[in-house]
Amino acid sequence: MDRIFKIVFQSIKAVRAFKLRTLFCLLSVALGISSITVIVAATEGAYQKAFEIVARFGPDSLMVIGGSEQARAAGQRLKTISLEDVEAVKQTFDSAYVVVPMSSMRDATASYKGQKYQTLIVGSTSDYSRAWTWPVIGGSDLTDEDVKGLRNVGLIGQYVAGELFGNEDPVGKYILIKGLPVQIVGVLSERGTSPSGERLDDRIVIPISTLMRKLQNETKYVSAFRIRFVDQKNLYSYLEELRTFLRKRHDIPEGETDDFTIISPKEIIKFLVALTGSLVMFLGVTGIISLIVAGFVLANLFLLSVRERANEIGIRRSTGAKKRDILLQFLFEAVFITTIGGLFGFLLALLSSQLLMSIAEFPIHFSWKAFVVGLLLSWLIGIGFGLQPAKKAAELNPIEAIRG
Amino acid sequence: MGDIDVEVLKGIHLSIEKGEFVAIMGTSGSGKTTLLNIIGCLDVPTSGRYILADREVSNLTDDQLSEIRNEHIGFVFQNFYLLPYVTVLENVLLPTLYVGGRKDNAEKNAWDLIKLVGLEGRAKFKPNQLSGGEQQRVAIARALINEPGLLLADEPTGQLDSKTATEIMSLLKKMNEQGKTVVLITHESFIASYAQRIIQIKDGIIFE
Repeated sequence: MDRIFKIVFQSIKAVRAFKLRTLFCLLSVALGISSITVIVAATEGAYQKAFEIVARFGPDSLMVIGGSEQARAAGQRLKTISLEDVEAVKQTFDSAYVVVPMSSMRDATASYKGQKYQTLIVGSTSDYSRAWTWPVIGGSDLTDEDVKGLRNVGLIGQYVAGELFGNEDPVGKYILIKGLPVQIVGVLSERGTSPSGERLDDRIVIPISTLMRKLQNETKYVSAFRIRFVDQKNLYSYLEELRTFLRKRHDIPEGETDDFTIISPKEIIKFLVALTGSLVMFLGVTGIISLIVAGFVLANLFLLSVRERANEIGIRRSTGAKKRDILLQFLFEAVFITTIGGLFGFLLALLSSQLLMSIAEFPIHFSWKAFVVGLLLSWLIGIGFGLQPAKKAAELNPIEAIRG
Repeated sequence: MGDIDVEVLKGIHLSIEKGEFVAIMGTSGSGKTTLLNIIGCLDVPTSGRYILADREVSNLTDDQLSEIRNEHIGFVFQNFYLLPYVTVLENVLLPTLYVGGRKDNAEKNAWDLIKLVGLEGRAKFKPNQLSGGEQQRVAIARALINEPGLLLADEPTGQLDSKTATEIMSLLKKMNEQGKTVVLITHESFIASYAQRIIQIKDGIIFE
């Protein structure tokens, strides 16, 4: 053991002495490791984000939207779900603890004392905040009476509140929504952005009856409804039951596609993985290529170094170094350099991911996993590409080596 | 492939006793380097035997030869052959890295040797900060650190001016007086005259 420590110490000295070789190997390894580290962190970030979003969406929830998936893809939101549908679902599915209809109106102008702002108006019931686990933090929630009485009251999102009221407390104030006076009764808590980058706090929630009758001139159809089940484990069998139930109500013959779309937590994860997948692929290919390049840079520089240091190898051999002492020395030199390269790569990854996150709002999560993967890879490169030059050094004939 | 085996040393019978100071003289191509490589266990004879300190060396493995070099032989070369990137002290300590067991006091011994060869105050210098004569002193200290029985000096004064050469030779003589066997290779008779016994080698054959 003593001997190995001494040899490691010799390696460290050589790494410090041959600065140019060290610098080039270190840089190329650092670049490769950093992109791999970013990938690992990005993958982890994507999954974490996906689970976060699912947790927020509600792992026990489904959302049913009017119109088929194809129609939705084409940008049409067909009105196919009626208030009666929602009521029927509520009656039939005992396992659901919340069934909430929703309608929305985009780009509606809201104004307060001359301040104007275009926002999203959502119509829903008193269960809205429960359905989305989105607490009202100021004032009070909507009530059943508000919905039944078509009252002009509303909950305001933090972002619109800022735009219209500034620092003023919106609770109790009247605003105009497309000319309709609405009293703000409560403020929703801050929610941030959706995975597709939509600002969730940019909305005003009013009773669905008020929205339909007074703003949309609509009596029957809603945009969507949300349903939450007590028993989360059977979510996907409920999903099938719900689909069958709605198809039957809408008289859709067998073989025809649904005229509605059901969104489940699985769908959300699929969407997110597709979103990050392409970037991860790109970085992955880049990372692997740059790691291989780094390996070849290392192997070449070490082969040159072995030739340049033949004399040193001869001296060491003549003073009693065995082949394996020489092998270990050169191998340690390689591993030592790649380890430092790996650590630098990790730092580089931390910096570049800051950049990525600020530019693309790309979810990146660093954990010990990214660190360990980077470190193991750097050792693998050090050993994998350092072994051949080290062997060559060890096999040099001492007589020829010492003549340089 | 295409290599022709050339007999370099022909029927040499040479025995050197412990404590001798022997000079081997010859022109280049005479076979003296090959002889030195065999004596120094850097090479093994293709035929014939070489017995070092009562041990047959010709059929040992590479590792065993390394151990013998480490324990029994100290080399001094014409071109000094110091490691450029470590200090004088670390150069002197080099052979102790490859000692099988733990070697106590290695560093203290190195300091003593540096003092012995007259390089106090230079221990932390790098080789390129030293003169040729000083570098050769470092090499001698390195050759002595593992207390070998045999010092092998291959043209040790070849790169040095005559004044420095005299100093180096005196140092080798001193080592011989302290009990080391010294085998010196040279082509200068002035240098060879330090030895008690001079062996001439010509075309692979030796004459005394």
